Amino acid sequence: MRDYILLYINGKEHRIGGEQAFVPITDYLRYEQGVCGTKVVCAEGDCGACTTLIGRVSGNGIEYKAVNACIQFIFQLDCSHVITVEGLKLNDQLNAVQQSMVDCHGAQCGYCTPGIVVAMCGMYNRTCPVNIETIKEELTGNLCRCTGYESIMRAGLAVDEARLFKADDHYPPAAMVRAFKEHVGSPILISAGERTFFNPVNVGDAVRFKADHAGTVIVSGGTDVSVNANKRGMAPTNLMSTSNLPGLTEICIRENVLEVGARVNLRDLELYVKDLIPEFYKMLWIFGSPQIRCAGTLAGNIANASPIGDTLPFLMVMDAEIEVTGTAGTRRINMNSLYTGYKTLALKSDELITRIFIPVPEKSELLKLYKVSKREQLDISSFGAAIRIQRNTKIVDAKLAYGGIAAVVLRMKKTEEFLKGKEFTLETFRAAGEVAKSEITPLSDVRGSSDFRFQLAENILLKFFYETADERELACL
Amino acid sequence: MSIVGKDIPHDSAVGHVSGESVYIDDIPFQKNELLVDYVGSPVAHGRIKSLDLTEAAKIPGVVGLYTYKDLGGINKFGPILQDEVLLCEDHTSFIGEPIVVIAAETAKAMKLAKKAIKLDIEELKPILTIDEAKAQKAFIDRTYTIKRGDIKAAFKGAKHIIEGTLVTGGQDHFSLESQAAIVYPGENNQIVIHSSTQAPSEVQQVAARVLGLQQNQVICITKRMGGGFGGKETQATHPAVMAGLVALKTKRPARIIYTIDDDMKYTGGRHPFQNDYKVGFDDEGNILALEAHLYTDGGAANDLSTAVLGRALTHSDNAYYIPNVELFGYICKTNYPPNTAFRGFGGPQGVIMIENIIEEIAAYLKVDAFEVRSKNCYGLEDRNVTPYGQILQNNTLPRLFRELVQTSDYKSRLENVKEFNSKSRTHLKGISFTAVKFGISFTNKFLNQANALVNIYLDGSIQVSTGATEMGQGVNTNIQQLVAEEFSIDPKFVIVMTTSTEKNNNTSATAASSATDLNGSAAVDACQKLKRTLSECAAAYFSSKEVGIGNYSESIVFDDGFVFDQRRPRNRIAFAELIGMAYRERRSLGERGYYITKGIDFDWSIGQGNPFLYFTNGCAVSEVLIDRFTGQLKVERADILMDVGRPINPGINRGQIIGAYIQGLGWASMEELKYSDKGALLAHSPTTYKIPNIHDVPPILNVNTIDNDTNTANVRGTKAVGEPPFVLGISVWTAVKHALSFVSNDELPRLSLPATNEQILSRLTHYQKNTKSTKAKDRAAALAP
Repeated sequence: MRDYILLYINGKEHRIGGEQAFVPITDYLRYEQGVCGTKVVCAEGDCGACTTLIGRVSGNGIEYKAVNACIQFIFQLDCSHVITVEGLKLNDQLNAVQQSMVDCHGAQCGYCTPGIVVAMCGMYNRTCPVNIETIKEELTGNLCRCTGYESIMRAGLAVDEARLFKADDHYPPAAMVRAFKEHVGSPILISAGERTFFNPVNVGDAVRFKADHAGTVIVSGGTDVSVNANKRGMAPTNLMSTSNLPGLTEICIRENVLEVGARVNLRDLELYVKDLIPEFYKMLWIFGSPQIRCAGTLAGNIANASPIGDTLPFLMVMDAEIEVTGTAGTRRINMNSLYTGYKTLALKSDELITRIFIPVPEKSELLKLYKVSKREQLDISSFGAAIRIQRNTKIVDAKLAYGGIAAVVLRMKKTEEFLKGKEFTLETFRAAGEVAKSEITPLSDVRGSSDFRFQLAENILLKFFYETADERELACL
Repeated sequence: MSIVGKDIPHDSAVGHVSGESVYIDDIPFQKNELLVDYVGSPVAHGRIKSLDLTEAAKIPGVVGLYTYKDLGGINKFGPILQDEVLLCEDHTSFIGEPIVVIAAETAKAMKLAKKAIKLDIEELKPILTIDEAKAQKAFIDRTYTIKRGDIKAAFKGAKHIIEGTLVTGGQDHFSLESQAAIVYPGENNQIVIHSSTQAPSEVQQVAARVLGLQQNQVICITKRMGGGFGGKETQATHPAVMAGLVALKTKRPARIIYTIDDDMKYTGGRHPFQNDYKVGFDDEGNILALEAHLYTDGGAANDLSTAVLGRALTHSDNAYYIPNVELFGYICKTNYPPNTAFRGFGGPQGVIMIENIIEEIAAYLKVDAFEVRSKNCYGLEDRNVTPYGQILQNNTLPRLFRELVQTSDYKSRLENVKEFNSKSRTHLKGISFTAVKFGISFTNKFLNQANALVNIYLDGSIQVSTGATEMGQGVNTNIQQLVAEEFSIDPKFVIVMTTSTEKNNNTSATAASSATDLNGSAAVDACQKLKRTLSECAAAYFSSKEVGIGNYSESIVFDDGFVFDQRRPRNRIAFAELIGMAYRERRSLGERGYYITKGIDFDWSIGQGNPFLYFTNGCAVSEVLIDRFTGQLKVERADILMDVGRPINPGINRGQIIGAYIQGLGWASMEELKYSDKGALLAHSPTTYKIPNIHDVPPILNVNTIDNDTNTANVRGTKAVGEPPFVLGISVWTAVKHALSFVSNDELPRLSLPATNEQILSRLTHYQKNTKSTKAKDRAAALAP
């Protein structure tokens, strides 16, 4: 049993235990180490100023992803290598991305700049060459208030590829990988004051700890828990990370069912489903930002149980099954019976989500996923919907789930019943819209008024019709 | 060699990209440093019944708790009216208004102290809307007016009249670095304030006033800001003075850093406006008369509201000649944090009214809005006098209109939009051309002055210090280039130094887009004094070396790092060599420059004058795509054409133009400050308050400037650029209005700002319902016997 977190920062080893294990890496960098290039603006993963590269073992090497450091607490970072903006120069000279940002006026006030430089270096560390679309996608999570982004995009395109920062050249992975592999098998228990952190190395230990410590909060990507810690003072007595649990990072297809391990991050999932379930890909593409998706998991989105969780309507209409493991063993819960109320799940106190099974939609089915938010990218839904329909000239089967219209994501039972057996026409969907409005109770909040949500509940069915009707049907209108 | 006009990198760019630039919270902590924060009013309007600090004082690590009673000076201040307190006495007037300043050794102690302070407050009824303030006649300052012509007669003669009310929302600055200051105590009650402020002199003056010091006991230093946009013009002062209080009381360094949530919730932003207008026009769309009443939400204190309102009034004409005008402006007193400067400073809120009116005239007459704009555009020789009497010199607006409508392909795109809308059942498009004519100079005359200090060192390198503060906008780089140009040396030999009240006294805020104009001119003045000295030394030297040419300092030329007599260009010495000579000749190698803007004045008692040295002009065409089912908006293309005179640094100008336009797009379409019915801001972090991100940049974005060398009134013929392009974001909003005009039937396409997807959908639904009911009525009529 270890009592410290092992991590490397810009190639240097750090062993961190005690109270320091319970702070965000940004605090550790800025206030303990006096390394202040990494800026903290929002402390909730919504601006990208704190973007750093986090490397973890992948095969015999290290794979780096850009994440929001402000919501990465030290205890989440065992066996990882953190590269900050200070670690990007080449022989004390600017690397190509940095130089291009200088030449193209990519920085004005400079406060978002370290995050942008890190995200861009992360992009070039992985893929090269890049194009305007890659740049936009990789910088989705980085807000800039000064430049209007145009100069940043130009800078991203104008780099000298001969002088790129390549993490493996700069920080040879062999020694770090060796150290990580030596450490990853030993569980970690860190206590500081009343707080305890446990990092198990097998699922059995994990569920036993959970059974023994009521109210244990599980942290995987931390994209929600850490926000609550930073913004709402959440400081759970018992914390458990899944970062070193083996066997939960697998993603595969078996008999037309997609199996997603609980530790699979949303970014890997997004890439995996790109051709397999294009609608789901589209939804994941507008889920948070790349920094969030590189940390956050599908299991986390499910466990968080938000009524506006982006993936939940989809999982519901697909009748996904959630595998949970407890001291009594493993069982599966249908997604549609997982939620028992606002942010409450039908899980026993010792149970842990270990896997998600998602049937892949048939080619003949119509599936559309919708997210309406104030800003298309990097925003939280005002309203979300999944519509899955089997049709010939009539509607054979209909499954609808809406988010943002009640305390939980809801299957739209009345609307589904109404649609079944009806002609596939605009009039049908118009009438279905009225039914949909009758079975929801949306609230007014900062993300939208109840009127807005009522109207969307109706309109989204019309949008679905226009997007899925064939040319002949549209021509008749 | 020409340095002005060259695209050199921002002077801090290398530090920025390597994370080495230092902002306030990056300054290393001193051993005995204290954290400073405060407890503010929990209610928008309240009466403090009791305050008990005894429990909080007992918490280990809490070093001090201070109220207004601990202020050594006057607890009343404000940039225009002295109507603000630093710490509440018995009343509170907005949520978060500071009451108790806390000094603590750790964040944990700070948190516990905040909880342990017992505040008993009686909640009073707040004023939370402009309408409530109007009803209760709760106004700050007086009514301001600008009048010309005879509107009564003009309305009588006008064939068409439109009346309406335009509501525009506020905007948060969302500087990525929030309000921040560190104060170091010195000897004899002197303090050194490091503040992220646009106005070091104001921080100095208010600190002295409120803390009971002489101004010469206070130094305020500003290295840089992580964004300002007006939010740090007056409101950086409060945290700095609170930290100053702690430093004075404890004799320990004191650091205050607002979280972004606190900054958003408890400091002011752009002024919301509610403008009632009545416009008269003829069949051709010529505007004959305009009467408007501009009500702005000033918040709980005046701050800069008087000046913001003034700029809204002087910009209500925008690019258009209106023969008969009556404009009235009022500042409503509400229970929100005082609204303050924000890029554009009331200009956008004035401009949008007339651009909105023109859009409505076009919809009413069923003509192209650009034609209405062209007809009413200010002329070159006639129709070129503003309602407040200033004559437009070298008016570039007609030229900008002509060129942009061509290069943006406006007319054929307008036809495409019409075609698209007639076919698409799922989407709507809109396209709109808007303009900006932005007056440059502080409208408060006395602020239009600046001083600069230029020191030359023996190796020929130069330090320049001015009152300008760097917030990313590139003022340092501009001044660096202006100074290098004067001596014709490589700009790498010129450093623009940290701004400090110790070097430059009584300076104006870096604001009104004029920092380069004012401070650059002062620096150039200092350089010219030094050049006179240096030319004398050089002339003496050359005449001593060559018999017969005489000692004529006016023949001396500075060129490309060298100095020579223009009659003997091959006989030259290096600039640094001349500096050495001048030093040995015991000549002063440091000078102070001074500048005042001449030819400006304004009298609000008659609403007439010549408030601006010149105007920065521009125009834009934006095209939008709207999803009819969700109201989602996309800006598909924008074309921008600006007249910014002769550029000092074209790269920096381009960054200002695009950055401002996108910020304007945010104001116009997505940035929405939602409040609870108690006046608490609900959208107080990027999770709920949405500024444009990289995907919101129009995929087609054409940005150009025209060649214009006529602005000789300003240094090097340049024009200020910081604020004007912000106003062009309005074209996104008017494009939405244009799109709605295709479905609004006989109604005018009314819209408030911002045009969020929610509002757009609500308008679409409204028009659809009206269409249905009209059709139903028609059917019913047809069936009637």
